[in-house]
Amino acid sequence: MLPLLLLCWPAQHAQAQIDSDLQLFGSMQTVFFHQESRIDTEIPSTGTRNSGTETRNTFALQQMDLFFRKEIGDELTAFVDLEFQLNYSSEKQWGSMSIQEAWLNYHISDAANLKLGLLFPSFNHLNEIKNRLALLPYLFRPLVYERLLSEKFYTEDFIPEHAFFQFHGALPAGNWFVDYAAYAGNAEASYVSRNTPSGGIETDLNPNFEFLGGVDPSNLKLKLFGGRIGMRSRDEMFKFGISVTHDYNNLRDSTRYPSHILSGPARRILGSDAERFRIGSDLSGRYKAFWFELEGIKVIYDYDPAERFDVELEQSFFSGVLGYDITSEITTYGSLQYGDYTFGLDSDYFVYTFGGAWRVNESVTAKAQFIAYDEQFNDVPGDNLNLISQQVTITFVFLGFSILL
Amino acid sequence: MNTTLRIGLFLTLLVCASHTMEAQTAVIVNRSVPASSMGLKELLDIYTLNKAHWDDGSRITVFDLKRGKTKEAFYEYIDMSEEDLQRIWLRKQFTGKARPPRSISNEEELIDMVSRTPGAIGYVTERNIPKKSNVRIVARVKQR
Repeated sequence: MLPLLLLCWPAQHAQAQIDSDLQLFGSMQTVFFHQESRIDTEIPSTGTRNSGTETRNTFALQQMDLFFRKEIGDELTAFVDLEFQLNYSSEKQWGSMSIQEAWLNYHISDAANLKLGLLFPSFNHLNEIKNRLALLPYLFRPLVYERLLSEKFYTEDFIPEHAFFQFHGALPAGNWFVDYAAYAGNAEASYVSRNTPSGGIETDLNPNFEFLGGVDPSNLKLKLFGGRIGMRSRDEMFKFGISVTHDYNNLRDSTRYPSHILSGPARRILGSDAERFRIGSDLSGRYKAFWFELEGIKVIYDYDPAERFDVELEQSFFSGVLGYDITSEITTYGSLQYGDYTFGLDSDYFVYTFGGAWRVNESVTAKAQFIAYDEQFNDVPGDNLNLISQQVTITFVFLGFSILL
Repeated sequence: MNTTLRIGLFLTLLVCASHTMEAQTAVIVNRSVPASSMGLKELLDIYTLNKAHWDDGSRITVFDLKRGKTKEAFYEYIDMSEEDLQRIWLRKQFTGKARPPRSISNEEELIDMVSRTPGAIGYVTERNIPKKSNVRIVARVKQR
């Protein structure tokens, strides 16, 4: 009996340690969405007009995140975010699984922290919580953050997706905190070496050198450097800030851009590294039953070939959400987003959306959202190099549940 | 007559005082905590999880009551609604910044948890605090 007890004791003791030290929690969001798309194309020189429509209805496990957090002594905290997207199944090759964050934070003081590892850097209001769907009242995030549009909007063209080192803190100033963060990370993901379908490893920089997928072979010049400075009221009702990053856009990677760009004037500037600054500003807050989130991003380039060939590369994105809490459980909102996508094109897009969320209980929130997306291209080189104009209209209706695990 | 009046007045004051004492909410900490008193800003920072460490560098473990008048009085004192605090806690938890307060059903259990957890803080009705316990009062909140 005694040996059996001795055998059992370490296991029970270990379990108690895990229960008290390792925090495991998460969230998932499951949706049904209805999508209607319409594309109208016109060739002004010939007067030809075409249009096409598409309708899609689908259920999906949009995303599930599992978080692991462990406090190691008084100064260290480890954190991991494991993310599964779109009905993830390795067997069926659906969706994706990824480690979005895995970092260690060293707390020197409340005013000074050092975070090391794969992390979401501080940039505007949304970047740190862009994949925390349970924290957001909406189902469909502002365009540049929305993974369902990742084929259309390269998130990295607007925001820093990951960093590996961040020094950050909050300094009290009366009824406010001054938040600051400075960070560094790898170059844009497209520079990182990747596996080819044939089983080899390739990179845009030095195809003969790489032997590991997922490593960044670029030199220090191409790495990401950035930061944010902002203020936050002590009761967390208002916050605002300015964010800046410096890195390079990989214009060697021609696979990321649609064919009409490659056949247009912009093709002459491909093949090198475009120095890029992403400048963000954010303002968000709550007043009584009202809440709002405003965010702006301007992407500017310092790139000689673009100037030489007179190709405009700048991009911008603005998003505003105004919400109203009908009760403590029910909120509604409307939002407007606007952006321009230049890259040698004359293109503007607008998004109008409204929706609501109902907190059914502590763990479950029901959400509904309507989204209308409008995009207008002008003078895009089409087939036979005729210049075409294109109008794209997409409407979505999203219904879903967000569940805290 | 005079003496009777005085005794009556004394008893009335005594009853009022005892009512006031009964209604007093006290913020308590484990005796290991270096602070001897606490102001409103510090309590707000602790309950919004903006202050996660005591001055000696040890971690703060925050306890909260699930419901009741004591909770209402404390939230009113720090001028925060339950919904706002829940929202803040969830964001801090999901970004890995802090652990949300542990929610306790009754005051006796909360006192026990604070007394047994180094670096812990919580709030209870003052009269429920046993004379011999491993907790110290650092602030008082008057209930309305």
